[in-house]
Parts: sequence; structure tokens; C-alpha cells
Amino acid sequence: MTLLSASQPPLTAEPPAPPIVSVQNLQMVFQVPGGQTVALQDANLNIQKGEFISLIGPSGCGKTTLLRLLADLVQPTGGQILIGGQSPATARQNRQYGYVFQAPALMEWRSVLANVMLPLEVMNVPGDRRARAREMLNLVGLSKFERNYPWQLSGGMQQRVSIARALAFDPPLLFMDEPFGALDEITREHLNLELLRLWRETGKTVIFVTHSIPEAVFLSTRVVVMTARPGKIEGIVDVDLPQPRSDDTRESPRFFEIATEIRELLKKGHA
Amino acid sequence: MTAAAPGARARRSPLLPMLAVAVVAVLLYLPLMVWANYGPAARSLASGADLGCPTALACATQLRNPVLPSPGQLAGGFGALSLPPTSPLSAPYNAVVTGGETLLGLALAVVVGLGLAVLLVASRSFERSTLPWLVASQTVPIVAIAPMLAVLLGQYGVQGFLPKAIIAAFIAFFPIAVGMSRGLRSPDALQLDLMHTYSASAGQTFRLLRFPASLPYLFTALKVAATAALVGSIVAEISTISFSGLGKMLAENSRASDTIALWIIMVYGAVLGVALVGLIGLIERVATPWKART
Repeated sequence: MTLLSASQPPLTAEPPAPPIVSVQNLQMVFQVPGGQTVALQDANLNIQKGEFISLIGPSGCGKTTLLRLLADLVQPTGGQILIGGQSPATARQNRQYGYVFQAPALMEWRSVLANVMLPLEVMNVPGDRRARAREMLNLVGLSKFERNYPWQLSGGMQQRVSIARALAFDPPLLFMDEPFGALDEITREHLNLELLRLWRETGKTVIFVTHSIPEAVFLSTRVVVMTARPGKIEGIVDVDLPQPRSDDTRESPRFFEIATEIRELLKKGHA
Repeated sequence: MTAAAPGARARRSPLLPMLAVAVVAVLLYLPLMVWANYGPAARSLASGADLGCPTALACATQLRNPVLPSPGQLAGGFGALSLPPTSPLSAPYNAVVTGGETLLGLALAVVVGLGLAVLLVASRSFERSTLPWLVASQTVPIVAIAPMLAVLLGQYGVQGFLPKAIIAAFIAFFPIAVGMSRGLRSPDALQLDLMHTYSASAGQTFRLLRFPASLPYLFTALKVAATAALVGSIVAEISTISFSGLGKMLAENSRASDTIALWIIMVYGAVLGVALVGLIGLIERVATPWKART
């Protein structure tokens, strides 16, 4: 995996196993008054099962658009997406992914437990939904708060509830759109550690949108660097930091090297 | 990682401030009452009428048809109009009749308002084509439309209680339709996206997201609608043939120029309105327990 560097085309170094997410020549053009906005141009990306992929770039680079395209929340104007060999719409219907939004988007009239049970109700998942939801809350360390309403929790705790909710129906993929963007630095670093633990324990494939370089480096196995106007993938950086990662990881020289590499790529796109 | 203290509900009783306002109102009322009645009393005395009191100032509190009744007169009239409360001529009995009409009218308004709100939210073209007519329906004076509706309904044998409820519903459905359609649109884009990622059906999105999100809007609208419905049923009683209700009492006593009775009936109407809004507030607390923060 470390063979892959930013200067190479991203497809060449992929291992032979079929990717869980495959993006080919993806294009997204929005019609706006007086013309068009190219949100995404000629994006190519293959993601293997179990990877932790970050999409990083300035605002307007199409990273959120890419995630929304994968989730079938918008339809592409060109190119192809396959998720486990299926179209995004089919993958959505087959519960292939859980989505964590920028804001927790909890239902304020539901208790914490009932919020985590929501997807199970909608999808009519058989079995003990309450027990399943409790298991998820335990996973994110919020068992004690199952009876509380969302407004009684801090922002970080609310976002953990929304992660538990996304995992409730056990999808193989987890899409996360700047989930910690609105949180303070201390909470964010804490939740980064928690997220890595979750990732190790559940074996999910995570696609994570962020605009923080340290966050991307700390969390990811690979970082997809994107640039704006038009939105495109500038390069893909392998993060070969050892697992499991800890707070010490942030202090290692390799951490800074990789962060610098990403920063250079971002600058290159800006020039 | 501590949660905000759940359910910090140290609610202070509103009784004390309410009492303070009442005291201020009485203190302001007394001089105003004397001032308002002094002129008529002086004129009556000057015309040689025997009012049974020596001066205009003394007579100001005991005129038969005062501009503003004195507290003593109100108390006396209150007893006369309220007892026995089961009598078809008493104010409590008639307040219950009007209250019943208002509640039935509100129930009808909720059914119609909810249905309209769902249609308004579901279809932009329905909204564009219908909303102007709904607005127009509310600009027609209820005094004009009430007798016509009563005649119309009378032709189909609908008489008495029901026409008043229908007229009350006619003005109460509008705030409910507007409030509910606002509420049904209140879920944010992320919540709607979330339901989409679950591949939720339109019915599920309505039941699990739009409807519960709209409940706070519904109760706000209901409070507005309740007072409108009360006015509607009283106006309906006044402007159609009625054998009971606060409106019928108002009409009778205004023909008799019995200002004391009119004042007391007004108080009954006001108390009825406060009780209706209070009842809705009570239901709201039970129906939306997540809104416990006040």
C-alpha cells in the first residue's frame, strides 16, 4: 500500500480484491443561475474493505458532494459508482451504509435510545431492537444517557448518538461528513480516538470528510486530497502510521511528514 | 462528559404576579369607575330623579345601568346570574353550552386544518391554487356569514348546537392549517436526508419525522384557534337564533341595557377563554414531554 504515492494514478497500485467502493470518471455539474458549477470532475477512486479513507480539501472542492453521490443523496451527471458491486440506490436499499451528518440531526422528541432505534423501526429490522440500540449506545459509551432527550446532551455526546444510530443496523460502510467539525479541539481529539476504537472493533469501512489535516492523518489509512474549482482529486496519500494509534501518534515525525505531504498537495491545487 | 442536569424544572408559580396585576387593575378601576359614572349620576340628580343617594359622588357606585359597575354591584350581579348554576338562565350553564360549541368547533377545525395542512405541504400547486381562497374565507366578516350558514344548515335540518360549532370551526381551521403546514415543513434538510438514507417511504417520513416535528406548531396554532373559535361561537349565538349560550345572554341583556349583566357575561367569556387555552397547554405538556425545558 505504501507504494502508492500522490504522483501516481490512483488505480494502478490497488490490490486485486474487488473494491467495496469503486468510483470511475465521476462527474457532477450543478446548474446555477447564469451557468454551471463543476462540483466534481473526473474522479476515480477505489476503496478496499476495512479501509479508513478521509476526503480532505477546501470548501467547494466537492468532498461532501462525493459523499452524497456515494449515498445516493444526489445523482451524478456522469461516470459510475459501484458499492459492493451495486448502484448507490440499490446499496442504499440494501442498507449498505450508515450516514453521519455534519450536525447530529437527532429527533428532538425521541429519547437517546429511541433515536438509535429509529433506523431499525424504519427498516423493520427483526429481533430485539431495544437490545440492539442499547448495544450501540454501550459501544459509544452513552449507556447511562439512554433515557435523556437530545437537548440534555453536549454537542459531542449528540454526535456520538448519531454514530451509534448509523451503526445500529450494522451496515458494512460508514459515511461521515465532517462529523466533528462543530466541536471544540479537545472534544474532537477525544472523539477521534473513540472513532478509531470503533473502527477497529467493528471492522467497518469508513469514508470520512474533513478539512482538518491532523484529523485526516490521525484517523486514516489513506487520505484523498481534493482541490476546488473545479472539484477534483489531486492525489491520494498513504498513511503508514502504525495501528493502533494513540495520542503519541500525533507527536511522531512520520505524522508531520505525511501532514506536510498533504499540505503540499493542497497548495499545488491552489496554485 | 457530563450531561446538562436533566429536567431542571424549577417552575415558579404564576399566581403571585397574577395577583399583583389584579390588585393594580382594581386600584386603577375604582377612580375610573367613579369618574365614568359621575356625569350620568349628576345629570340624573339634576333632572330631579330620586336615586336614593344624596350626592353625585355617592350615586356613582349605585346607578341602575352604570357605565362601569362598582365592585359591590358586580358581586351582587354575579350572584344573581350564577345561581343556581344548573338553571338554563344562569351564566355558568350558558358558558358550558358555549364552551361545548367551541370545543366541538375546535375538533372540527383540527380535522379540516390537519387535512388542509397535509395537502398544502404535499402539493405546491394545491397551495398556490387554494391558499388565496383560504385567506379570502377569513376576511369575510363572521357576523355576515354566520346567519347565512345557519339558514343554509337549517335547510338540512342542522339546528341548535351544531351550526355554532361549524361557524366556530370556520374561523378556527385557518390558524391550524397555516401553523401545521409550517410545522410539517419544519424538519431540516439533514433530517430529511437521514430518512432518505434509510430508504423511508413518504408515509414513514410523515409519521416518524414530519408529524412529531409539527406538534409544537400545532399547539401554538391551537391556542390561537381556541380563542378565535370562542369568539366565533359567541358571535354565532348572537347573530343566529339561539336559545342558550353566552352570546344569547349578551344579546338579551344588551337589548335590556343591563350593563352589570353584560360585564359579568364578559368575565365569564374571558374565564372560558383562559380555561380553554389552559386546557390546551395541559394537553401540550402531556403530548410533547421533550419540551420540558421552560
